[in-house]
Amino acid sequence: MRLPPRPQERIDRSRELTFFFEGEPRHGFPGDTVGSALFASGRRVFSRSFKYHRPRGLLCCSGQCPNCLMQVDGVPNVRVCTMPLREGARVRGQNVLGSLDRDVMSVVDKIGGPFTPVGFYYRTMIRPRRAWPLYERFLRNVAGLGKIDRGAGRTRRFDTEHRRVEVLVIGGGRAGIEAARAAAARGEQVVLVDEGLGPGERAAGGSFEVIAPARALGIYEGGLVPVDAGQVLIRFRARRIVVATGAIEQPLVFPGNDLVGVMLPGAVRRLTDEWSLRPGSRAVVIGADERALSVVAELRSAGTEIARVVDLRAESPRRIAAEGKKGRLASVLVDGEGLDCDLLVMSGGRQPAYSLLAQAGARIEYDAGRGVFVPIELPASVEAVGAVAGELPSGATPAATYEGGGKARGKCFVCVCEDVTTKDVRRAIAEGFDSIELAKRYTTVTMGPCQGRLCQLPSVRLYARENGTDEAAIGRTTARPPWAPVSLGLLAGRGHEPARRTSIHERHVQLGARMMWTGAWRRVHSYGDPAGEVRAVHEAVGAIDVSTLGKILVSGPDAAAFLERLYPNRFGDLRPGRIRYSVLGTDAGRIMDDGTIARLDDDRFYVTTTSTGADVVSEWLEWWNAVWGMGVEVVNLTGALAAVNVAGPRARELLGRLTDLDVSNESFSYLDAKQAHVAGVPCLLLRIGFVGELGYELHCSSPYGEYLWSTLLERGADLGLRPFGLEAQRVLRLEKQHILVGQDTDSESNALEAGMPWVVKFDKDEFVGKWALEHVRERGLRERLVGFEMTGWTVPPEGGQIVVDGRPAGRVTSARWSGELRRAIGLAWVPAALAEEDAELAIRVDGRLEQARVRLRPFLDPDGERLRS
Amino acid sequence: MKDVFRQRRMWRPRGELKRRYDVVIVGGGSHGLATAYYLAKNHGITDVAVLERSYIGSGAAGRNTTIIRSNYRTPEGVAFYGRSVELYERLAAELDFNLLFSQHGHLTLAHSDRALITMTERAEVNQLLGVDSRVVDRDGVAGLCPELNLSREVTWPIEGALYHRRGGIIRHDAVVWGLARGADRRGVEIHPGTEVTGIESSNGRVTGVRTTRGDIACDTVVSATAGWSTLVADLAGVPLPITTHILQAFVTEPLKPFLDVIIVSSQMHVYISQTDRGEILIGAEIEPYTTYLGTGTFGFLEDSARHTLELFPQLEHAAVLRQWTGLCDLSPDYSPILGVTEVGGFLVSCGWGTYGFKAAPIVGTTLAELVATGRTPELIAPFTLERFSTDSLVSELAAAAVSH
Ligand SMILES: Cc1cc2nc3c(=O)[nH]c(=O)nc-3n(C[C@H](O)[C@H](O)[C@H](O)COP(=O)(O)OP(=O)(O)OC[C@H]3O[C@@H](n4cnc5c(N)ncnc54)[C@H](O)[C@@H]3O)c2cc1C
Ligand code: FES
Repeated sequence: MRLPPRPQERIDRSRELTFFFEGEPRHGFPGDTVGSALFASGRRVFSRSFKYHRPRGLLCCSGQCPNCLMQVDGVPNVRVCTMPLREGARVRGQNVLGSLDRDVMSVVDKIGGPFTPVGFYYRTMIRPRRAWPLYERFLRNVAGLGKIDRGAGRTRRFDTEHRRVEVLVIGGGRAGIEAARAAAARGEQVVLVDEGLGPGERAAGGSFEVIAPARALGIYEGGLVPVDAGQVLIRFRARRIVVATGAIEQPLVFPGNDLVGVMLPGAVRRLTDEWSLRPGSRAVVIGADERALSVVAELRSAGTEIARVVDLRAESPRRIAAEGKKGRLASVLVDGEGLDCDLLVMSGGRQPAYSLLAQAGARIEYDAGRGVFVPIELPASVEAVGAVAGELPSGATPAATYEGGGKARGKCFVCVCEDVTTKDVRRAIAEGFDSIELAKRYTTVTMGPCQGRLCQLPSVRLYARENGTDEAAIGRTTARPPWAPVSLGLLAGRGHEPARRTSIHERHVQLGARMMWTGAWRRVHSYGDPAGEVRAVHEAVGAIDVSTLGKILVSGPDAAAFLERLYPNRFGDLRPGRIRYSVLGTDAGRIMDDGTIARLDDDRFYVTTTSTGADVVSEWLEWWNAVWGMGVEVVNLTGALAAVNVAGPRARELLGRLTDLDVSNESFSYLDAKQAHVAGVPCLLLRIGFVGELGYELHCSSPYGEYLWSTLLERGADLGLRPFGLEAQRVLRLEKQHILVGQDTDSESNALEAGMPWVVKFDKDEFVGKWALEHVRERGLRERLVGFEMTGWTVPPEGGQIVVDGRPAGRVTSARWSGELRRAIGLAWVPAALAEEDAELAIRVDGRLEQARVRLRPFLDPDGERLRS
Repeated sequence: MKDVFRQRRMWRPRGELKRRYDVVIVGGGSHGLATAYYLAKNHGITDVAVLERSYIGSGAAGRNTTIIRSNYRTPEGVAFYGRSVELYERLAAELDFNLLFSQHGHLTLAHSDRALITMTERAEVNQLLGVDSRVVDRDGVAGLCPELNLSREVTWPIEGALYHRRGGIIRHDAVVWGLARGADRRGVEIHPGTEVTGIESSNGRVTGVRTTRGDIACDTVVSATAGWSTLVADLAGVPLPITTHILQAFVTEPLKPFLDVIIVSSQMHVYISQTDRGEILIGAEIEPYTTYLGTGTFGFLEDSARHTLELFPQLEHAAVLRQWTGLCDLSPDYSPILGVTEVGGFLVSCGWGTYGFKAAPIVGTTLAELVATGRTPELIAPFTLERFSTDSLVSELAAAAVSH
């Protein structure tokens, strides 16, 4: 039921919107919020309280309090009082068993009062322990407000925007608008954000941009102000931030202060002015400042009868209590005088909304004169204007609580979000929770959906009174960001995790490859027949896409010296056109990565890394380059280059068909690096052999990768060429006992114990981690990475344990069936004492122990004859 | 039942500081209070003062995400944390204080076959040491947490998980208060608002501490100061191989029960649980930079939200209510540093990184035993400070980096 049209009203009466409340159609107008439309339809109970399930109605009507949280279109915990009404919206109550009007759970309020004192759950259901899970189930079910639709997926698209402005004004009240105008007049570029719907009009004519409704979420690191603008998250960086967030009307604390029909002045003002609604028919107004009391005029103009006005500046009632019927306000008692009414407007003054300032680093202090907390000592480039800065009309400081007296025994709430009463707070203090921080955690005051906006000040007052001290001595608890609740969807934005594909990816898909994930990369697991792929490499020739390898160009006059100092292996004497393998160590001598390094010419080295290590290694190189200040340039080429490894006894024959280069063993021998055209594509050719057969790694510019790959497959077909995937590669390298860093090593592995003493050149002056490796050498090896073969047919699990005397003593890091050897083989870390050829290992497989024998040399081609052939 | 209604003080109001105590414990977090409690309970040593610069539980104890589990990687770690979980299971009854221990299981997701190897390794070590832990495949994961997005069309498909049935979460404040009450009732003095500003020693032995409320003589000082460990050890002249970082977390508005198990994804640096209050509790990996500043970052919220929605798209509309940070004292091998130092009578519990809350009871019992007997209990022998000079690290990186 609406009042006749009013001058400031926000609704457009020419059009009607239909929405559904609990499935029933309801009507409203454009300009309504879901809350105002529901109120217009006669609804007064909007929610049930957290613990006692007491009916609650509109209290602040400005998106601060918890009283209007509902489920809208499946979204839980929506503050409907500020949610613009949309055609077809589906609105439901939440946290009720039954309906909002008849909530079965409200028995808790009737009988539960004495049964649910603060912290009761800490003192109950401790024994028997078996009963606790049942009780816990019950606790879990009664906790929580809204419901998540378990089956839902992501529905909306959210975006993130980055903006730089000269001045960002947060808050579009009078002070905010003035500040924006003034800055704009000085020629500054200004954006004003406000969470309400109104500032657009108020700012009319100003030469600055207004974004509303939009909420500033905080003032974060480096002055970042993220703003929730609905579907878009705007990340503002401003040279100057003007905070004009105003002040928040505070409730009074008296019995029955949560009844439906008890409102803050702002709610009354919005209902009447913006939506032309009459908040009640007979009202009592109790207020501590001018602004609160001025609603009397508004109420009169809306036809509300005023039963009594209590101006706390002029009178100091000792007793105030509200009484209700079925949770709805029926009368108010002021010092014994009973007043029938259905509306009680209360205000304990206004508390500056300082949270953003506090987060930015301002100090917050209690101002005894004004009876509120005010910000002082603002950080540079942040300003506060208007009410938030403490510019408030003088008012009275209300009592910490008002006693009801007589029959008025209603609950007296300090924190409506968490259903905490004055009795709870007193009890907490008596139990020894005597500091405000402890009490907050015990009673949960200020930890509800409004994050203390409505209860921080009243609870501090109560604390001061109960402890016989003042508010300044009590202090406040830290308000935690964000300043307003923000959905995970908006925070996540559109960002998804990056997935990387090589330039040859589509060809693999065409070949029916099974893909797998290695770090961010998608790689080929196999083309359906890993065993056949292994055979092809042993017997003919295979090709594998190794574009994911990290590829880093290190160049400059100091390049050789730089690598010499960084890697345990020697690079100073590496001749141009030659390749050397090394692990890369941390300061503590641990293995960080490995790969081959080819010297292209005097000043340029081509460093390869593992697929997952590329970024870490290039950062590591750059870091040391910066530390040492050497004449070196480090360029990470990983994404820019593709690479294919062609391996197998017929690899040379294939290569010979595609290049003019002399590929004979004499002129292109093992560990040579050459540059040439292959199939017309400029390539860097590295003759190396991770998979143990004669092989060439062809590196070329990424866009050519696909062509090179296809040509290799085509021209190699008659040689028996097969593409192979990671699975085949793993078997092949295992037959050679070549390690995979990160799988066969962990953060504590060093090159000596990993069985690669030959990469560590102790006679070099210095290299990263040298001292640590020297220490390892001195203390002796404790565990070793060794090969093993199973006595039986079982392939043990990777990660399986070597058991000695029933205890874990080592671990299997790699294990596979080798078709070539017809045996299960693997690598394992074992105690040094067991690192002897033929030593017996007991490996746990499915809870049983299986036997294996240590093999210290590669299972296949131990002398590398095939590699060198 | 009647105790529920009886209003009884949890602890005595703070009194004056005495001039001398047998044992001074620095830090009123979970470890300091547990040590005090077990000193009194197991060894009858009650001339003990717990000195806390702020209020009890003001540090990491009151900010952590309370994951309690024992499915670590090294045999040393598994045995140690395993014993702690057992103690936690009995602690509520022992303290006569409900700690709201919610043991619904813990799933560490594997998004790659490499990750599955690590899980297998942990499961095998765990089983050998009697800890309930196993690897489950995708279907197993679906059975344990049907709400997870198990689609293959995501960046990080779920290949399986390490399942630890006895993993759970607990009410952190309750642990702090329960221990404080237990210690107080046995005569231990708890002094909030008392900062230690100096540690006196002579001839390589501790002789007392200086505080903001006066000096105290004592023979034994136990520093249980977590994020502040290096600062306090400095006062005693003991250098520690520890860096202090922040770790962040946030909760959403309370929701009806949605998730019982704890979900951890190291790949995506996120872990998710739902508290008994209904809030979805989300944390991430430790921030890589060192700082004592407790201000949270927005980037953390964005990253964690993105990662959470990859796992639980249903939570799109769940709203973040508050975020916070806490200090973490990280050691090089992700294992703690416990026990004696080169200064006689100066004992430490530190190097807890992001995983120390679950160890409070076992730290309390073992440190109390060390103080009482002068001998390092076997369970904590692998975790001495000395291990850094003998290169005997206990690497828990694979089991403790993101799964706290
Ligand atoms: C966000 C976050 C999430 C975490 N999640 C988990 C988890 O899920 N599981 C888990 O097991 N662990 C977790 N942790 C780690 C765990 O919280 C800590 O390792 C553990 O609480 C540390 O022990 P404490 O409780 O004794 O430390 P704290 O509570 O930090 O206690 C140290 C105390 O020492 C006091 N102090 C410092 N200096 C002085 C001084 N000079 N004089 C007097 N007092 C002093 C401090 O005020 C503080 O109260 C997490 C940590 C954080 C920050
Ligand atoms: S009233 Fe909202 S948290 Fe207390």
